[in-house]
Amino acid sequence: MTQPMQPPEDVAIVAFAQTPSYACFNDSEPAMIMPCVNSVIEQTGMDRHDIDFTIAGSCDYLSGLPFAFVMNIDAVGAWPPVYESHVEMDGAWALFEGFVRLQSGDIDTVLVSGSGKCSPGSYREGFSLQTDPYVHAPIGLDPRTQAGFQAQALIAAGKATERDFAEVVARSHANAKANPYAQLSGDLLVGDLLAEPYLQQPLRRHDCPPTSDGAGAMIIARADKARELCDNPVWIRAIDHRIESHHPTLRDLTDSPSVRLAAERVGLHHGPVDVAELTVTYSPEEIILREALGLDEATSVNPSGGPLTGSPFMAVGLTRVIELARAIANGDGGRGVAHASSGPALQQNLLCVLEGDS
Amino acid sequence: MPALHDVDYTLEYPYTRTTGPVIGPFLTGLRDGRILGQRCGSRVLCPPMEFDPDTAATLEPDLVEVGPGGEVVNWTWVAEPSAKHPFDRPFGFAFIKLDGAETALVHAVDTGGDAGAMSTGMRVRAQFRAERHGSIADVYFVPEADAVEQVIEPGEEPVTITEHLISLRVNEPLYPHRARFAQGLLDGKIIGQRSPVTGKVYVPGRGYDNMSRVLLDESDEVEVSDAGTVVAFTELNPVQYYGQTETEPYVRCSILFDGTDQPVIGIDIRDMTVDEMRVGMRMRCVWRDPEDRSVADIDNRYGNVPETVYARFEPTGEPDVPAEELKEHSW
Repeated sequence: MTQPMQPPEDVAIVAFAQTPSYACFNDSEPAMIMPCVNSVIEQTGMDRHDIDFTIAGSCDYLSGLPFAFVMNIDAVGAWPPVYESHVEMDGAWALFEGFVRLQSGDIDTVLVSGSGKCSPGSYREGFSLQTDPYVHAPIGLDPRTQAGFQAQALIAAGKATERDFAEVVARSHANAKANPYAQLSGDLLVGDLLAEPYLQQPLRRHDCPPTSDGAGAMIIARADKARELCDNPVWIRAIDHRIESHHPTLRDLTDSPSVRLAAERVGLHHGPVDVAELTVTYSPEEIILREALGLDEATSVNPSGGPLTGSPFMAVGLTRVIELARAIANGDGGRGVAHASSGPALQQNLLCVLEGDS
Repeated sequence: MPALHDVDYTLEYPYTRTTGPVIGPFLTGLRDGRILGQRCGSRVLCPPMEFDPDTAATLEPDLVEVGPGGEVVNWTWVAEPSAKHPFDRPFGFAFIKLDGAETALVHAVDTGGDAGAMSTGMRVRAQFRAERHGSIADVYFVPEADAVEQVIEPGEEPVTITEHLISLRVNEPLYPHRARFAQGLLDGKIIGQRSPVTGKVYVPGRGYDNMSRVLLDESDEVEVSDAGTVVAFTELNPVQYYGQTETEPYVRCSILFDGTDQPVIGIDIRDMTVDEMRVGMRMRCVWRDPEDRSVADIDNRYGNVPETVYARFEPTGEPDVPAEELKEHSW
């Protein structure tokens, strides 16, 4: 049994902000990010140039512009020049890099952001380019198709039914009624959902994410600085990222060994798991994640509604961390886990354990 | 005011990739009507790999023919194909374990649009396209009973390079501030945005002041002069890269319009040579007749003051502005 990672530096989230999940944000990506950045700076009372390091996650293929990530720097206040980095990944991986950067102990604060606009293009076409360039990308193997395979595999293995998928959807939409940032919400009847036609058999449209634009940002800080900047910091106790093969036919799609390993590494069950904010982009993923994470009824799963109710790619994983941090800051739980995913059908998984101030 | 166009363009990157010792023969085989797997211990992998997927150990190239028949071990039905899929009508994607292989290949199954024909355990068979390029898209699958016998003429040289044109379509409205800027050009006006924090005027505006991190809107917009000062120029000698439309050398300059703090870059000059250009030279816009102006090339990312709205820029004859005064704007 591997031991949970013990980060030498305690790191906390001291401010966070997100946009609503928009069906279409009719302005530029920097204009979408900027209010989040301004909000987190204002929450801490810091001067922009007191922030030691800045990192963003986004995807140029989504924006349809070479070097779009460079334009996004307009949003983070980069003049006079700042110390800055970027990942072509969801903002949750920008958080990971920021967290690791703080472990070196020479800087105190990091501004993290994640953003994406899915509305101008086709995410199915763009994200098919994440796949193997010889045997998958030329036939347009897209994330929805890979989610369809995963759903079919679950059904074939007797681990889930289409009704189970519909129940995830109904629960997510009901939870989202209390979330002002959600794009979709409401009371749905499982029977009605099952009467809908297939979009990607065995998936229906509601089993798939809406097309969304959005952004999120946070400031993280080392312990002393965190206490100075914030009355109730939310501590990042552990963070871990694990991947599986990019060949879906080599994976057991009904399980997530990478989530199991990451959960072990972050010591997920070394304490209570009150809240789990999971990147359930397609409804069957919740069933796999619950099992791989070993969650039971004691855990509130996706109280925000999750990505089925608003899924701005490249911000959606970071938004899970933000939603969890908000829940903990509000006292809705003392400890929880946020999950971000990259690649098709939960190929890559990142877990982040947060805990309230104690 | 007539509605302005939506932005609709296609971003393309032509990729070429070497194929290597295992994928190369695999793609050569597809072009020649055969499907090859790679031996890995006692197993055969298809798609073939250069490494053992369990241990990551390098595998010596050792290819063996598999298929053309196989069994569907997982499937999903695509009700709404994307532009990148092998078929433009509904079809199945499947994990296909080809006869003689132990791993499965992901590929498309054409049942003529009938989702009911798909099932786990069904038998399928490879069919090869008439035009083949040494690509995974050279082949597709059909239910075994629908397969036809094909005579495939093998090609000559082995496939050592693949070409993959990445092509992504973007479609969105002009952002509100871009629409107002474009409409201004149609009206013979250059519209800028003035930052309420610094007072600096940006042309075209971007909807925000990135120095002060404030959003800008219509109330921050001002009409600026259509005369200004050349702050930079160069001669472009068009390199014939993919997508290039220019063939002859021409001058491109940046002009700081009077009353603004940011030069407009990319103004093309066709009736002057590079020898006639000077930093500090005063120029003014000679607009096209209103009915000849177009902003069709303006999108949300590119397009400042395009040639499709002006006939030319002409020197005003005023004395040059000393270059020293333009240092901050030489871009």
